[in-house]
Amino acid sequence: MSALLDVTGLLMRFGGLVAVRDFALQVDEHELVGLIGPNGAGKTTVFNAITGMYRPTAGSIRFRGREIAGLKPHRVYQLGVARTFQNIRLFRELTVLDNVRVADHHRGEAGVLHSVLRTPKFRNEERRLADRARELLAVMGLEQRESEYARNLPYGEQRRLEIARALVSDPKLLLLDEPAAGMNPYEVGQLMELIQFVRERFRLTVLLIEHQMRVVMGVCQRVLVMEFGEKIAEGRPEEIRANPKVIEAYLGTSEG
Amino acid sequence: MRTDGARRRPEPGTIAVIVAVGGFVLLQALMWLGVLNPYWQQVLNLAGITLISALGLNLIYGYTGQFSLGHAAFYGVGAYASALLTRSLGPGAGTLLLGIVAGAALAALVAFLIGLPILRLRSDYLAIATLGFGIIMKVLLDNSDAVIPMMGGSSGMSGIARLTTFPWVFAFGLAAVLVMRNLVFSSVGRALVSVREDELAAEAVGIDTTRYKTLGFVIGCGYAGVAGALYAHLYAYLNPFSFDFLKSIDVLLVVVLGGLGSISGTLVAAIAWTFLLEGLRVALPASVQDWRMVIYPLVMIVFMLFRPGGIFARTEFGFLKPRARRGKE
Ligand SMILES: Nc1ncnc2c1ncn2[C@@H]1O[C@H](COP(=O)(O)OP(=O)(O)O)[C@@H](O)[C@H]1O
Ligand SMILES: [Mg+2]
Repeated sequence: MSALLDVTGLLMRFGGLVAVRDFALQVDEHELVGLIGPNGAGKTTVFNAITGMYRPTAGSIRFRGREIAGLKPHRVYQLGVARTFQNIRLFRELTVLDNVRVADHHRGEAGVLHSVLRTPKFRNEERRLADRARELLAVMGLEQRESEYARNLPYGEQRRLEIARALVSDPKLLLLDEPAAGMNPYEVGQLMELIQFVRERFRLTVLLIEHQMRVVMGVCQRVLVMEFGEKIAEGRPEEIRANPKVIEAYLGTSEG
Repeated sequence: MRTDGARRRPEPGTIAVIVAVGGFVLLQALMWLGVLNPYWQQVLNLAGITLISALGLNLIYGYTGQFSLGHAAFYGVGAYASALLTRSLGPGAGTLLLGIVAGAALAALVAFLIGLPILRLRSDYLAIATLGFGIIMKVLLDNSDAVIPMMGGSSGMSGIARLTTFPWVFAFGLAAVLVMRNLVFSSVGRALVSVREDELAAEAVGIDTTRYKTLGFVIGCGYAGVAGALYAHLYAYLNPFSFDFLKSIDVLLVVVLGGLGSISGTLVAAIAWTFLLEGLRVALPASVQDWRMVIYPLVMIVFMLFRPGGIFARTEFGFLKPRARRGKE
């Protein structure tokens, strides 16, 4: 059986700077994989390449057997790869409900004409979109917030809203870029439970970036470690913890 | 689990129709009684036309977040195209309708041809491209008589039938508002706004941003085309000056003052601004007209400092909101 996501020989160069080199990554269906490494290691760049934000300088990215390297981001999303951003990127002047349902828009079929004429097809679709979005808001504990503007939510809720938005369209693969950033240890614990929960409930495959090693150790089945654009280790959490290269990479950052 | 008291109230669409019909009857009565003399009737018509054009620009800039500096040029496309059509086919209600449709379609087509290549790029290129298009349009119109003598070149096109009456303007103005309302309060509308809010995030949630930027631009310019066609048959005379860069700024000002992303704001600002300008024209000497380009930026700056969201700051009159949202915001 081939992997759900199969990245091989990924090279990402920005002018003279090589951000990611010779990077390989396989993620099987329903796995929860951690991608860790110090700041600037190239983790986000890997996400950007997978999701079509960057066109790889070289290498192959296969999702469900299909080459997706260089596709536009909206195409990659429509194929079933959703993501969140390290620096939360919500539609700030849209309501919480609108933030989520707009992410399901691509599955709708009622275009301009049906909208303008308010046809039954349009109404059914609007109802379906709203119901589906509310379902996700309930899972994320945001159902009381649907009429708020996204910009008015506290930080932790913004993080959860971004995850709700990423899940609304039934993705197969969810990429989370430092979802725990800026949270206290209690919130981090809750978030990790939530990630486990949605993974089961929506039969998701999750790839999780984190730069604090501690966070991913508890939840991930497998961890990849990056440093200076390269993969320096890969294995089960306990193997990673004991790996001398990893310890060295994290030395002095007091996060081992 | 939602207890939605608003469901019991009459549908906002119904209220909108009642408000509209009432407004129409009232205005007709005022004209009939002679309270609104022909001069102010003309101003009222112009206000309605400005409304239609400004709604289009609000869709482009206020909702989709794409900055266009050539809106008046698309208005001009609609005006000249429809005028050529009615002059060729002979005047009549049917030909006016045909002229409006043709003017809108041509403006939308030109917008598509300009928008598709440009909107693949970053947003700010649209401002440059539309500015350029406005300049090219002006040059073409100034020399149009070389190819089509009927268009009159820089001395203007005359002999257009006066077909635009208040009921025409009112009907199209109302339709423009309702279509815009239904469009922005829909999944398509939210897709347009997501592009304005964060283009990259919109792409990341499956919105084909190039497509939606083009869609907003094309529909918005179609609105300008409708407005231009009505304008052409209101004054029966067209001059290239009426479609230059300053005219584009005029509409932009209405949209910004009313509030980006607010239909109600555009409605109020278009009417208030048109009447204010005419009032000033009547009250003040002609030389003040030359100060427009000093006054405009000042008004703009004052608003940006003290009320950056415009008069309406993304809110709407109740009757312009869709039903399901009422009572919850
Ligand atoms: N668009 C870009 N242009 C230039 N350099 C970039 C770009 N994106 C990322 N980089 C560089 O690539 C390196 C890796 O960045 P990033 O992937 O964000 O690291 P991480 O997410 O692991 O902290 C950094 O040196 C960063 O400056
Ligand atoms: Mg990063």
